[in-house]
Amino acid sequence: MIKPKLAIAGLTACSGCQLTLLNCEEEFPEIAHRFDLVSFPMGESGSDPDAVFDAAIVEGAVSTPADLENLFQLRNASRLLVALGTCALFGGVAAMNNLTAPRRELVRRVYGVSGDGIESFPPAPFGNFVSVDFTITGCPPEKHDILALLAALLAGTLPPTQSYPVCTECRSRENLCLLLERNELCLGPIIQGGCNARCPATGIVCEGCRGPVREANVAQELELLLERDFDRKEIERRMSRFMPEWDYGQRR
Amino acid sequence: MGSVVEINPFTRVEGHGSVKVYLDGARVERVELCLSESPRLFEALLLGKTYAEVPEIICRICSLCSTVHKVTALLAVENAFGTEVSEVTALSRELIVNGGLIQDHALHLYCLLLPDLLGVRGVAELALKAPELLKTGLAIKRVGNLIQEVIGGRLIHPVNICLGGLGQRIGKEQLLRLRAELEAVRPECREAYRLFRTPFPFPQLPAPNCLALEPASQPLSASRFRMTDGGTFQVRDYRVHIQENVLPHSHAKYARVLGAEATVGALARLNLGARLNATAEDVFRCVKGEILGRDMRGNNVAQAVELCQAAERALELINRLVEIGREGAGNQKVAPRSGRGSAACEAPRGVLIHSYAFDAAGICTEADVITPTSLNQGALARDLLALARGMEGEETSQMTTALERLIRCYDPCISCSVHLLHL
Repeated sequence: MIKPKLAIAGLTACSGCQLTLLNCEEEFPEIAHRFDLVSFPMGESGSDPDAVFDAAIVEGAVSTPADLENLFQLRNASRLLVALGTCALFGGVAAMNNLTAPRRELVRRVYGVSGDGIESFPPAPFGNFVSVDFTITGCPPEKHDILALLAALLAGTLPPTQSYPVCTECRSRENLCLLLERNELCLGPIIQGGCNARCPATGIVCEGCRGPVREANVAQELELLLERDFDRKEIERRMSRFMPEWDYGQRR
Repeated sequence: MGSVVEINPFTRVEGHGSVKVYLDGARVERVELCLSESPRLFEALLLGKTYAEVPEIICRICSLCSTVHKVTALLAVENAFGTEVSEVTALSRELIVNGGLIQDHALHLYCLLLPDLLGVRGVAELALKAPELLKTGLAIKRVGNLIQEVIGGRLIHPVNICLGGLGQRIGKEQLLRLRAELEAVRPECREAYRLFRTPFPFPQLPAPNCLALEPASQPLSASRFRMTDGGTFQVRDYRVHIQENVLPHSHAKYARVLGAEATVGALARLNLGARLNATAEDVFRCVKGEILGRDMRGNNVAQAVELCQAAERALELINRLVEIGREGAGNQKVAPRSGRGSAACEAPRGVLIHSYAFDAAGICTEADVITPTSLNQGALARDLLALARGMEGEETSQMTTALERLIRCYDPCISCSVHLLHL
């Protein structure tokens, strides 16, 4: 059996996407048998710097020259590049203030003037720099999405992409609608589903951790929230938690 | 002639870091520890956000310990607003923190450290060479995660624990399921110490000055710190006693506690008299000599003792929650007011402090987070230097193996802390 060669790595992130792979406790031994984890610094030592991969599965945003160098290196060394998680796809939490505060100012607030020597730019998704072959969203991503990707790689293909909002699964679970029935600031209608509406199912609003669903009607969501007396600033702040650059359409 | 031995990147730890040993011939001149994680600037991102957003955002600082970050943030915000939570809420939080500790210690011991003991590259090779041991570790880890998922609504960055209470109360059936799952791995948690007491064959290290929260009857409401040398101080006064220093010629920032380099984590807790239940006490008695008064090489076996303690404690908490039944529930309403709140918890890797200030509308005006890894950074650098000096003249590969092994003793979690330290 030829084992697909994998690189699993992280850029600017919390390691949560890589941890999600290690959280597949029941499946991990099987994964270790079926794949060659050529480079996985979080779990393996002594990898070959000149290795090439069938797929590089990478989490995190790009926010330093070293991140960019790593990303190019992985892109060049791998047949497929998978952007794993919301940071890799949309910038994620570290990018939330990209449009509201200059990077230098943020760095100074944490490190003082001694931070001026830190090389860092506004966190950005992979797609700004390289071509990406497949994406898995979520902060954190769902285990089943990672397993589906691995299964597809074994079959020499990629999984089908999903495109429906959080509300689809939320309604089918018959949860109370937090937006319409409790007037809470829920982002479910415009956010990519696939999480089985985890948060609304526990009575907590969708915070938008999976990024926008395709063809999201952002202007209408904004309208719904404004009608419910939410402040425009608050809405935008909440929406930018995982992705700063929304297109508010006609409500610009 | 000068030369440099470099370990870059660190492997089998969370986050990005490297270490350089500067040699003059065989003599070790200095060691440079570089925690090179890209800065995400969380403290700055929180300014201008509402109190309700703070715990949801800050837990993203780290995935391995997102649960305890979330709980500490909730406690700090509630401390600012004078919110008291119900017994069910407090017990549920303690339970999820124990679940987090089980998952985290099991991950570190069985997936990241065990390869050192067996001489394999990592967790994937373990699956091929020592499948049964790995499966045992993963089974323990899985139960820790199950607790986090049931109580928190998801594995990483939990949502169901929130300000003033719980999104949804945990039903009896789910609690009983957790109890059954925990019972199934209880013997493995109890025996884990046998595997991780393997001696560490490297020179002795400097004696640590341990720092931990004083044990309290309610573990999540501990309000004082204490240290090996007898120093103690209140959590709310932490800023006075913990200094973050900026070293000249670098962006270095590292914490000194009461003027000393502190060591936090499992070893520190057990040295400072953490309360243990009967089963964990039995385990502790077997390995006391490797932990009490010992250097950081005892940290991993201390983690194994804690694995047992956490599993037993989680069972106690579940039993208490089942006993309470449907009584005593209810979320507290959180009413913002102007002020500051601080809280500290024992995260898997040691003392974690969150502190926030809010204006009258509940908008965050100041945010400060001190993580175990930033507290341990000074001691880690000191120990790396001592170890490198103790191994002068040995083969380079032996030295780097020893240094890597020491780094994994500390079990650093680098996402949280991004500082550069020259020695």
